Amino acid sequence: MAADQAKDARQAELRASVISELPNVDFVLGYAKGFDPLHATPITVRSEKDAARLIFDATCVQNLTTGLYGLKGKRIGLVVKGCDSRSVVQLLQEKLVERSELVIFGMPCDGVLDLAKIRVRTDITQVRGAEVTGEEVRLLLPDGPKVLPRRDVLADKCLRCRYPNPIVSDHLIGQELTPQGAEDTYADLDGFEKLSPQERFDFWKRQMSRCIRCYACRNACPLCVCKHVCLADSRDPHWLSAEATLQEKWLFQVMHALHLAGRCTECGECQRSCPMGIPILLLKRKMNRELKELFNYEAGVDPEAVPPLHTFLMEEDKIKDRGQLW
Amino acid sequence: MRIGVMVCHCGNNIAATVDCEAVAAAAREFPDVVYATDHMYACSDPGQKTIEQTIRDLKLDGVVVASCSPRMHEMTFRRAVERAGLNRYMFEMANIREHVAWISLDRKRNTQKATDLVRMAVEKLRVDRPLTPKSFDVQKRVLIVGGGVAGIQAALDCADGGLDVLLVERKASIGGIMSKLDKTFPTIDCSVCVLGPKMVDAGQNPRITLHTCSEVEEVSGYVGNFEVKIRKRTTYVDWTKCTGCGACQEKCPSRKVPDAFNENISLTTAINIPFPQAIPKRATINAAHCIRLTKGKCGACAKICPTGAIDYEMQDEIITEKVGAIIAATGITLFDHTRLGEYGAGRYPDVVTSLAYERMLSASGPTAGHIKRPSDGREPKTVVFISCVGSRDRSVDRPYCSGFCCMYTAKQAILTRDHIPDSKAFVFYMDIRANGKGYEEFVRRAQEEYAVEYVRGRVAHIYPTAGPDGGQLMVRGADTLLGAQVEVAADLVVLAVGAESSTGAPELAEKLHISYDHYGFFMESHPKLRPVETNTVGIFLAGACQGPKDIPASVAQASAAAGKVLALLSKDKLESDPQIALVQAIRCIGCGKCERTCPFGAIRMRELRDGSKRAEVVETVCQGCGICSVTCPVRAIQLQHFTDSQLLAEVNALCRTWDETTES
Amino acid sequence: MQDMGRDYRIIGFLCNWCSYGGADAAGVARFSQPTDLRIIRVPCSGRVDPMFVAKALLSGADGVLVSGCHPRDCHYTEGNLYARRRLEMLRRFLPVLGVDEGRFEYIWVSASEGSRWRDMVTKFTDKIHQLGPMPRMTEPARTLCALDGMLGQSLAQPDMTQPGQPVLPDWSKPAPPLTPRADAMLSMSDIAGIAPETKGDGNGR
Ligand SMILES: Cc1cc2nc3c(=O)[nH]c(=O)nc-3n(C[C@H](O)[C@H](O)[C@H](O)COP(=O)(O)OP(=O)(O)OC[C@H]3O[C@@H](n4cnc5c(N)ncnc54)[C@H](O)[C@@H]3O)c2cc1C
Ligand code: SF4
Ligand code: SF4
Ligand code: SF4
Ligand code: SF4
Ligand code: SF4
Repeated sequence: MAADQAKDARQAELRASVISELPNVDFVLGYAKGFDPLHATPITVRSEKDAARLIFDATCVQNLTTGLYGLKGKRIGLVVKGCDSRSVVQLLQEKLVERSELVIFGMPCDGVLDLAKIRVRTDITQVRGAEVTGEEVRLLLPDGPKVLPRRDVLADKCLRCRYPNPIVSDHLIGQELTPQGAEDTYADLDGFEKLSPQERFDFWKRQMSRCIRCYACRNACPLCVCKHVCLADSRDPHWLSAEATLQEKWLFQVMHALHLAGRCTECGECQRSCPMGIPILLLKRKMNRELKELFNYEAGVDPEAVPPLHTFLMEEDKIKDRGQLW
Repeated sequence: MRIGVMVCHCGNNIAATVDCEAVAAAAREFPDVVYATDHMYACSDPGQKTIEQTIRDLKLDGVVVASCSPRMHEMTFRRAVERAGLNRYMFEMANIREHVAWISLDRKRNTQKATDLVRMAVEKLRVDRPLTPKSFDVQKRVLIVGGGVAGIQAALDCADGGLDVLLVERKASIGGIMSKLDKTFPTIDCSVCVLGPKMVDAGQNPRITLHTCSEVEEVSGYVGNFEVKIRKRTTYVDWTKCTGCGACQEKCPSRKVPDAFNENISLTTAINIPFPQAIPKRATINAAHCIRLTKGKCGACAKICPTGAIDYEMQDEIITEKVGAIIAATGITLFDHTRLGEYGAGRYPDVVTSLAYERMLSASGPTAGHIKRPSDGREPKTVVFISCVGSRDRSVDRPYCSGFCCMYTAKQAILTRDHIPDSKAFVFYMDIRANGKGYEEFVRRAQEEYAVEYVRGRVAHIYPTAGPDGGQLMVRGADTLLGAQVEVAADLVVLAVGAESSTGAPELAEKLHISYDHYGFFMESHPKLRPVETNTVGIFLAGACQGPKDIPASVAQASAAAGKVLALLSKDKLESDPQIALVQAIRCIGCGKCERTCPFGAIRMRELRDGSKRAEVVETVCQGCGICSVTCPVRAIQLQHFTDSQLLAEVNALCRTWDETTES
Repeated sequence: MQDMGRDYRIIGFLCNWCSYGGADAAGVARFSQPTDLRIIRVPCSGRVDPMFVAKALLSGADGVLVSGCHPRDCHYTEGNLYARRRLEMLRRFLPVLGVDEGRFEYIWVSASEGSRWRDMVTKFTDKIHQLGPMPRMTEPARTLCALDGMLGQSLAQPDMTQPGQPVLPDWSKPAPPLTPRADAMLSMSDIAGIAPETKGDGNGR
């Protein structure tokens, strides 16, 4: 099949590029086949043998820039999708990583799968094989194949993706794509905000009370570079206690959203990693929407941009003088 | 921890609406509180003695006083606890007077609220830590930027008080606007006769070093220890050799140079001494007009100069000086009337600015004190003055009043009538602002004794017209008192241009880390109570740079600023406030965000041996605003005495109190 | 307006130089004001961490008011200008948490504006009284929470390229009954708690 050939060609190109750069880097972070047909797994490539395991397809969901900050000082090769490249840009903007220490293999990407969406449609433990084509995802189940429309099981971020092509890269692998998503309409947020405050409050109360405080969300976030000294774990200042109360869990999510204000690129890793399926990305999307509206700012697209909360205008054009309003 | 609480009655001020005994009784139940009492006047001598005694007797580690606003008596009580051997920061105040007793008569709720506030203070105190100020040496020198009358006055006062003074002036001579004036209101005494001696004093005082043709390039450091880089612009004349004889000026063939000192109504030479009374009286070459510097030929001045002072190769020089305090006295510039089409946008030579008119009036000016029309040199018989040009005018973003224009317009009208007795003077005005000693009387004299005609109204239009003796200007406006249009055929029109902040004032403010308003005037620390201080400790304001001011006010403020500097630098050592930011190095990840947001440049990134970075606060520069704390994602930088934990303790105390009240 | 027979829980963060002085001035002038507000003094509105506000609201405060110097008048030059951006972001963010936007406000009051302070406090307090007390943070029943988790509410977005095809999640309704997430880290005791007779919307209503 043509699609398959294209995929194979791209994989071969990736492997060749990686091999060509191996002498210049300590290692390359990329994807390999995971434990089942729906999972890819991150690997570190140090040799040609490792490179032969590299893949790139719709199962490569992880954002490999997470943890990049901890590797400062090493020379790292990195396989990034369009969305992941925004995390790199953001890290560069904050001078948290050095551009000269990175070799970036940019992968134009037409979408990755959202396992949560497949999970509600089928028992994913039974999947024996998977094949993704332009329009559909064909799952091989013990009782025969099951075909799902591809758009139904793509990650949300892919459906509204405006940066399918990496913003920064040293090696661009394969053909650039035309962005399929239009401006983000924030329809999900609009829908949510139609609820009354009380309903919203109850929604989060329910959601947050399920949080097990595993901090998988934080640990997956490429921009939580300070996780080793995270404010959530600190005794002085003492923001959060060790008690697993609703308040503490909720406040942590507020903390995460506020710390990511003007930085979050909506890679979605936090929500994807949450074992409890708590829709925490919604909070960050809210933040981003407001930032866009107030400061016309979007994180992770311009390494030279000034973060909106680290600057000000004497006369803000979008912020009304409060006290006059009521 | 052992905490003592004192609830003050403030006579009846608090006790009338708060049950102070009940508050004290409730406080006894709070954690770590070992003693709580109420007192008639906590701040009185017996009150303070009781506090001190109790600290000693009960071995207290901290004290809470619930009384008036901390803005009132925090220092009083801090000193009291210090006398008893406690650290002054182991003290908290609950404001139960201004924020409780005085705003509500509901005794029950007041008492509850007062109790909550005491609880909040106790909880904060429980996480307070002793802090000690650091002391450091000071430079007993002061930098004054701007050598107008304000700068000169401040320099003389500081030098009198025993300080070394650096006076930096952008122009070739000190003197500012006042040196260009003819006479001054309301006394009509000669401007240069009063200013001249001061300029000479400033030039001769061994404690004062003048740096003219100079500007401040960079300021770093902090109160007591500023480091200033000064750019001395090249003059192409070695001033150590120049004697100010003026021979060069006579020989210079480039004679078509607009004379800036005379507001460009006359011409001068490329090499010149700006005016006879200039201090320092030294020649400078105007490079743009010097034939030698532009075309490579000439060199007439070098040939004539008896001391060989001319040096065409001379370069700018940057010197570095250390000072303990800085006074900004950069004054004003004038509104550019060519922006206004209704007054001819600068097209009519016989429409002049008030300052140019001062030069015409001045006996040492280009016309030797004879008023002549720039267009044809004829003596004007009708002079129209228009006030508020670029003042109180929203359309040009100058809504403020320049303060002194009404007065100098009256002065100039009087002088016009003095110089040309058969002349007529008209003043178009909006309102007359004459609120100073003898000012109103002065304007009255203009109107009554000198028959100056005051027309209340705005001028809509000036246009040329052929008068009986050649070109005249028709000034058309409304007389709002008569409710009629008026037209005056004028020989000369003088525009009372308003004051603007001096050129480059915002840039200077940024170098000094002081604030400025929308118009570029420097901001004082408090409009009433700290009018000469800025919010950066050690930097003061004098004269019109803080807002339009006449000479008496400028001089008064200059002396005030000098007084502040003398008081500040009278100490050999200064203490730094310990309520500053501190970095927890183990938590800092060196992201540098704090450095970017600190308004005072108080944070430096220090590189560790492993190449990683940590933020570091320069204690003497940090002003304790806490902006950095909120910027830091890990909150690794904390403002001492207002740490996250301390403020959270207060928040938690309040929330807990409520939980308890709701449950009960 | 609800009168609880006690003060509402309103916290104020006031900068030392302007607003705290303004509140003092209002007291000195004996301007009568509601008693609900409890004031915490901070050096600058730039010191006010939006998280203090969030923390207070999630800990049961009914309202939070931040007040600083007017823009341009900050004692520290720029503190309130940073604060303005941070607090505006927070103000716009709070509603998504279900915190009514009226519960948080930030204003500028100078040390001389005692009467303005009185007006602001009175208006803000009135508004909080109208909104009533903040919802309490009691834990919802554990079993119902577990149910939400198992259903793994999907956040599918509408198809952006083909308008008119909204597949929006209905946030107020529980997701349709689906196979439990076999790989979710739900403890068995949680799942075991789901009684078949559990009706309603999973919201305890
Ligand atoms: C036409 C006119 C008539 C007036 N008549 C009267 C009167 O009769 N009576 C009266 O009381 N007042 C009068 N005034 C007002 C008076 O001029 C001012 O009050 C006075 O000059 C203010 O003094 P100053 O020292 O603050 O500022 P200035 O006189 O403006 O002096 C400031 C000095 O600082 C220098 N400077 C500026 N920026 C810098 C910099 N960045 N670095 C170094 N140096 C710098 C300037 O070159 C200047 O020398 C009149 C004003 C005008 C315009
Ligand atoms: S990953 Fe999910 S469960 Fe874990 S802390 Fe984050 S929100 Fe809570
Ligand atoms: S907060 Fe979530 S979506 Fe945003 S950058 Fe971090 S992981 Fe990605
Ligand atoms: S939540 Fe905040 S403090 Fe914790 S790791 Fe993320 S950014 Fe750092
Ligand atoms: S508290 Fe922080 S931001 Fe403020 S002056 Fe000090 S170091 Fe700078
Ligand atoms: S913002 Fe915080 S972590 Fe970053 S450099 Fe400053 S103190 Fe360190």
